[in-house]
Amino acid sequence: MKKLHKIFGLAVIAVVLAVVFYACDTGNFLDVSPQGSLNSQTLANKTGVEGNLISAYAMLDGWSTSTQGLWGVAASNWIWGDVASDNAYKGSQSGDQPNITSIELYHWTTSLTDQYLNDRWRALYEGISRSNATLKLLHSVSGMSQDESDNVEGQARFLRAHYYFEAWKMWKNIPVFTEKDEGDLKATTSNEGTDPIKQIEADLNAAIKLLPTTQSEAGRVTQWTAKAYLGRVQAYSGDYSGARTTLKDVMDNGPYALADNFRDVFSVAGNNGSETILSYQASVNDGEPNGWNGDYPDRLEFPHSGSPFGCCGFYQPSQNEVNAFKVDPNNGLPLMVTQPNSWNNDDANFDSSRTAPVDPRLDWTVGRDGVPFLDWGKHEPGWIRSRSYSGPYSFKKRLYSKASGAASSVGWSSFQLNSNNLHLYRYADALLLLAEADVETGHLDEARQIVNKIRTRAGQAAQGPGTGADNIEVPINDPSITWANYQVGTYPPGSPYFADKASARLAVRAERRLELAQEGHRLFDLRRYGATYAEQVLNNFTQVEQNRRPYYQDASQFDDIDAKYYPIPSQQIDLSHGNLVQNDGFK
Amino acid sequence: MKNSLRSHIRYESAWMRYILRTGLALIFLLITGIAYSQNTQVAGTITDASSGQPLPGANIVVKGTTTGTTSDRQGHFTLQVPSLQDTVVVSFIGYNNKVVPINGRTSINVNLKPQTVSGGELVVTGYTTQRQRNISGSVSSVDVGQVNKVSSANVLQKLKGQVSGVTIESNGSPGSVSTVRIRGVNSFQNNDPLYIIDGVQVQSNTLNALSPDDIESVQVLKDAAAASIYGARASNGVVIITTKQGRPGQLQVTLDSRVGVATPVNGYNNILMQKSLNYFKVEKAFYKNAGLPIPQNIFGDPNNPSVPDFIWPNDGNTQTYMDDQGVIHYGSDQTTLNAYSFPNNLIMRGSAGTDWWDQLFDPALQQSHNLNISGGGDKYTYDVSFNYLDNEGTMRYNNFERGTVRANTQFETGVFTFGENASFAIDKTIGGMPNGTMGEDTPIGNLIKMQPVIPVHDVGTWWASGKANTLGNGSNPVAESWKNRDDATNHNTFFGSVFSSAELFDQHLKLKTQFSFDVNRTNGHNINLPTFENSEPNSVTSFNEYFNKSNSWTFTNTAEYTQTFLGNHNVHALAGVESHRNVFRQIGGSIAGFVSTIPGTDSQYISSQLADPNTKDVGSFGRRSTLFSYFGKLDYNYKDKYFISGTIRRDGSSRLGPNNRWGTFPAVSVGWRISDESFMQWANFLSDLKLRGSWGQTGNQQIAPGRTVDQFGGGTGDTFYDITGSNSSITQGFTRTDVGNPDLKWETDTSTDFGFDAGFMDGRLQVTFDWYKKVISDLLFAPVVPGTQGAANPPIKNVGKMSNTGYEFQVSYNGTIGDNLNWNVSLNGSHYTNKIERIASGENSFFGPVQGRGGVLNINKLGYSIGDFYGYQTDGFYDSQQEIDNSPQFAGAAVGRFKFKDINGDGKITAADKTIIGSYHPDFTSGLNLGLQWKNWDFSTFIFGSFGNDIFNLTNEFTVFRLFDTNVRKDLLTDSWTPNHKNAKYPMMNENDDVSSNYSSFYVKNGSYVRLKNIQIGYTLPNSFLALLPGLSSVRVYVQGENLFTITKYPGLDPALPANQTNSAVGNTADQGRGIDRGTYPHNRIVSVGVNIKF
Repeated sequence: MKKLHKIFGLAVIAVVLAVVFYACDTGNFLDVSPQGSLNSQTLANKTGVEGNLISAYAMLDGWSTSTQGLWGVAASNWIWGDVASDNAYKGSQSGDQPNITSIELYHWTTSLTDQYLNDRWRALYEGISRSNATLKLLHSVSGMSQDESDNVEGQARFLRAHYYFEAWKMWKNIPVFTEKDEGDLKATTSNEGTDPIKQIEADLNAAIKLLPTTQSEAGRVTQWTAKAYLGRVQAYSGDYSGARTTLKDVMDNGPYALADNFRDVFSVAGNNGSETILSYQASVNDGEPNGWNGDYPDRLEFPHSGSPFGCCGFYQPSQNEVNAFKVDPNNGLPLMVTQPNSWNNDDANFDSSRTAPVDPRLDWTVGRDGVPFLDWGKHEPGWIRSRSYSGPYSFKKRLYSKASGAASSVGWSSFQLNSNNLHLYRYADALLLLAEADVETGHLDEARQIVNKIRTRAGQAAQGPGTGADNIEVPINDPSITWANYQVGTYPPGSPYFADKASARLAVRAERRLELAQEGHRLFDLRRYGATYAEQVLNNFTQVEQNRRPYYQDASQFDDIDAKYYPIPSQQIDLSHGNLVQNDGFK
Repeated sequence: MKNSLRSHIRYESAWMRYILRTGLALIFLLITGIAYSQNTQVAGTITDASSGQPLPGANIVVKGTTTGTTSDRQGHFTLQVPSLQDTVVVSFIGYNNKVVPINGRTSINVNLKPQTVSGGELVVTGYTTQRQRNISGSVSSVDVGQVNKVSSANVLQKLKGQVSGVTIESNGSPGSVSTVRIRGVNSFQNNDPLYIIDGVQVQSNTLNALSPDDIESVQVLKDAAAASIYGARASNGVVIITTKQGRPGQLQVTLDSRVGVATPVNGYNNILMQKSLNYFKVEKAFYKNAGLPIPQNIFGDPNNPSVPDFIWPNDGNTQTYMDDQGVIHYGSDQTTLNAYSFPNNLIMRGSAGTDWWDQLFDPALQQSHNLNISGGGDKYTYDVSFNYLDNEGTMRYNNFERGTVRANTQFETGVFTFGENASFAIDKTIGGMPNGTMGEDTPIGNLIKMQPVIPVHDVGTWWASGKANTLGNGSNPVAESWKNRDDATNHNTFFGSVFSSAELFDQHLKLKTQFSFDVNRTNGHNINLPTFENSEPNSVTSFNEYFNKSNSWTFTNTAEYTQTFLGNHNVHALAGVESHRNVFRQIGGSIAGFVSTIPGTDSQYISSQLADPNTKDVGSFGRRSTLFSYFGKLDYNYKDKYFISGTIRRDGSSRLGPNNRWGTFPAVSVGWRISDESFMQWANFLSDLKLRGSWGQTGNQQIAPGRTVDQFGGGTGDTFYDITGSNSSITQGFTRTDVGNPDLKWETDTSTDFGFDAGFMDGRLQVTFDWYKKVISDLLFAPVVPGTQGAANPPIKNVGKMSNTGYEFQVSYNGTIGDNLNWNVSLNGSHYTNKIERIASGENSFFGPVQGRGGVLNINKLGYSIGDFYGYQTDGFYDSQQEIDNSPQFAGAAVGRFKFKDINGDGKITAADKTIIGSYHPDFTSGLNLGLQWKNWDFSTFIFGSFGNDIFNLTNEFTVFRLFDTNVRKDLLTDSWTPNHKNAKYPMMNENDDVSSNYSSFYVKNGSYVRLKNIQIGYTLPNSFLALLPGLSSVRVYVQGENLFTITKYPGLDPALPANQTNSAVGNTADQGRGIDRGTYPHNRIVSVGVNIKF
């Protein structure tokens, strides 16, 4: 029995030792905090508020690593605004990004379109979500001065207005909520009975009150940004008299001016120039190992194979758009205006051998065979990926010059990522909206003067030989120009093209198309001009284009529903538990 | 200090309770332990029937009891038996059991015949060992000898088809990790089983560091009754591996060597176009049928095409040729070969037909050498092994190399045993497609893209690729492999355990404490060299390097009690506590813009002097998690006839919400050996019949740690922004990155199993059958949230529900013909049905993670299986305009294109008509083993079959629809729709047809196959030869072939696909997208010779 006692004792000791070993801090043993992340307490202060605001700005290019999504998220709206319009083709080759083909051919109820719509939806609402998070946090922290607090609130409300406006442009009927409604599923997902424009204008009016007229950092929005943006929203929502008042104030009293010449607006050197109202501040070699801050969602738009870039050849200007740049040899006015029925009759490649006079903006906007491409050499046929599919022209407007050294040193095909800012709103856009408001409110001569201002500036410089940084821009009659005949005329006082509302409309719309070509506005402009007009323009476009680009034979009719809005992404409808309702006509 | 002191006090009472409980149990055990008495003694020797050599370590057990012993190093044993009228059962791993009635003798000599199919004697079932015949749960023992005939570096890959109810997917890339699923798929993510090696919980990649030659046994715990002792992580089943232990007896040295040559089982050169001019016929048809001008820049005049002399990015319009003077003409320009310059003006010769497969794949040498030294004395055993394995990949610049050292020792003193198992491995992988990698960016993906007209090299010394219009966007796969030839991934793995145990009360009570560890170090680097030769070129060099460490430890303490009361009541009880902790940390960095265009191996470092210092980036992150568990098990049987077993385990996990982190997992099983009933005695053909039933629960908490609270953060490419407008710097920004859920709780798997084990004809015919149903509730999963809630990772919730129902069986037969011929056959089969029972409130489906060029292709839909294929249902072709007019309205309908079905009947074909078009889950999988032994010759073969599984052949995007001008299937030219060939396989070739390529049932193919996995013939040298070399005790030589033939209708490369690895914020989502062929590294046909020498 003694032996048994001893053994039993040993056993108990072994178990006790084992248990005691565990007992060392076992209470905390299962409490393991997340590694390498911040918690809500760490950020509940001024640093946190600022950081949240910066993250709201970071969505301005439409993309972040947390939203992902394909090219449909691009803030340039190159797909939704231009490829879906008469301005541009998808480009590249057939089968590359078939989703964009579906959008281009008005197959908007397909799952391919739905995927891109869903990406864009998620990205825009991430911008809204980050803006709301900033405001929510701002309300909860102390230790910020009234000025600091007002400034942050103004910026966050501006950004929220911008993201809502982009969403409204796409879908019109969208859920609208503020930082106060977060967590309420019905409020955050229902799009019935919402009034996005009211919310956007409320935010912008608040921002105008809260923001200073200047900011120490170039990327931050000011009172004037908000004011100019309010004018834009008013014009888009049909409040032309409001738009006229607001934008006139911006024109007369604001800090903005047209850049000296057209190319400067899109050059790296011209970033944040006098014409910039709102732009995405791109950056490269900034410590981001994949170059993701360098206009990532717009990376596919460089010329292909034989070019110095090598990839990928998307967003090719259409024949229709190239024809639109032709001017009347008699007065230098757009052929679209002077010969509205025949300007688009030319099907042939408009290369450097063609002598018909053109607006010099053509060669800042479109890459054409034989014409110098900034300072990268002459555009060659081999720069196009599949010209039998998508024509002979390349995207050019936003591309950086060789001399600028704007390319990233990191990332896949690093040359596609660059530090050239992306304009989200520029002064010429605001002026043309003002001209539009002038026309609609009957101030035709004021509209004429604005159009002339734009045209005069367009005549300041043309694409030069580009053998060096100093001759990318030359006067439009420079003897070195052998590839084009540039001409820009203005509308003289009493011009018949501004004699009545209908004529002035045509002239202002033509000017807007030329000035803002390949900047993602076209389809949204056409929608603003009215369903009948948009249908007529786009159905006429696909009709003609079938003979130029055979794949347009598959295009569907652009109908009055398409002229209103895009379909709400079906995945989001499914997730909304019945709160989100499909737009009429797409049900 | 104060805090920790307080916590000691706080938990003291809980621990006191535990100690008291443990103590009471011990007292109970103690009291019952006294009732033991001893009887009569039998002695004898156990020998090998074929060689006459003594067998040390054989088990001798009195039939119907747990009384037994093992033979010593001379094969001798002595055993106390209750009566000399009893029967003993003698068993030894690798030999057939022998049942010997004592018949009053006190001395018995027994010889055992080596077996070719194992019956599995003592099996390890979690913290303990049990006899197979006494188990009432569902446990499969793997025949290690049979398994090791498959020459793979990873034991999991060898298990394919050998165990019923277990699905294994892998590819032919050496050293690649296999995907193992036990009884269907349980969760939307993270379905890897729990792996236990010698009691050590290890990560699945540790299995790559285990030399299969070291394995003594593998057990798979399939139902909850068997697995719930591992409650916490057992929901996906448990694979228990034990390594070889020494046996008391003489020193035994074994050398195993195998050398073989591997070639791929199939090649894309059997599938894709090989002749440039034939390819041009396809290209021409694509353009012509679309009404587009036919490109002339490569092949010239479409009516009289020819292979060009040279290709480079020319003017895009005109073919190139060289005249007699060596002048190269292109368009109106001309030049000479001197114009070649690297990297700006690359010129390549047009090829009449490059066999890219032949360029990328070569026969490869695979070898494995293992030296094992084992033995022991009365009080100690040891087993030490050294293994070297070198598997060259059949793909060029691909290699897996590994060295392992393992030492298992055990020492006894008095009632105590001390021991350790420790293994150290170093392995290195270069190239290939490890981890089941697939897709466009892999060498195989790029191979599909390479047109035959592209040569391998250009006219300089550089690589050639598609840098000219119409040559596609591929990357030369040989170049890609070459460029990455130094990109090594190195693992150092050190794992094992230290343990001590005490056996008390005549070995009835066993107390054991074990500390085990799994220490992994991984480092790797890879370079991304420029691809000037590509049509989508990359012009900078970037380089990254990383170092991971993962340390886990597990501390386990158990008390085990075994006793027989009143002769017939057999009791086995187990109680234990266990804690587990894992810490993972990674540091990684990258740099780009190397000064040297093609940096050599001496300059592949992250160093400012070598590259652009502004691009240097470094970061680190980590994960930590802990588990704490109590468990207990009670087995009882009466006369080895009625069995009941209960298990309970309580686990706490750091990954779950503070209020819900503890889960309790009970299980119970019953068994009835009906064959021992007197009313069954008439059935004398039946030697054994045991009915089994079980019910139980297991858990799963395999999600990323830290998801119970909101997490905030940011990233340079996510929330940071250049607010200053500098164009070259960014300001920090933050946002919420992960939404936490403080209520996270255990995912629970409730499983029911019914089965039987039957033996006929003195056990020569064995049949095992199981039926089961598993219902997994509170499925951990992050349902997609509306986009309006932002892009932060949505909260993980316990919302889903899934079920698996299935059956599995194994039938084996051992036969003899005459005195010298032994034969055996074994067949296993499995079937399961997986069903999604609930996703989230109001949610009907969500898409899988795999995306092709045409978007998503999997759906997880209520009432269907996880990862089903999703798309349109094809309905032939539109043969005429009239047919289009009479069919539902469809944007893009045209003659010669696919017609899709109007599933919802609304008169038009839209996205709403997409439906489930296939499933990767097989209806039935089966393995068949055959063995023959005749005198010194042995023969075995193993055949595996998978039936009723579909494969989504995503490569059709390229090989049929020619997206990106890729290479295409040979039969596209002969079997595409034309007005004269309407009964075609493929739609009309048409460059503008972006409709037919929509994901549809066209992509879904029957993936059933039967494969001869292994065939082996061996010869054991007769003793007369051995006598020439004293010290040799046995020499066996063999020759074998693997994967020699495959029967399948699958038109792709290899129907045996790896699981495509995809991840979400919750974890690995591979099960939402298996069975997708995106271009896979095929399995290999390996012919090898081997020798097994025992000293």
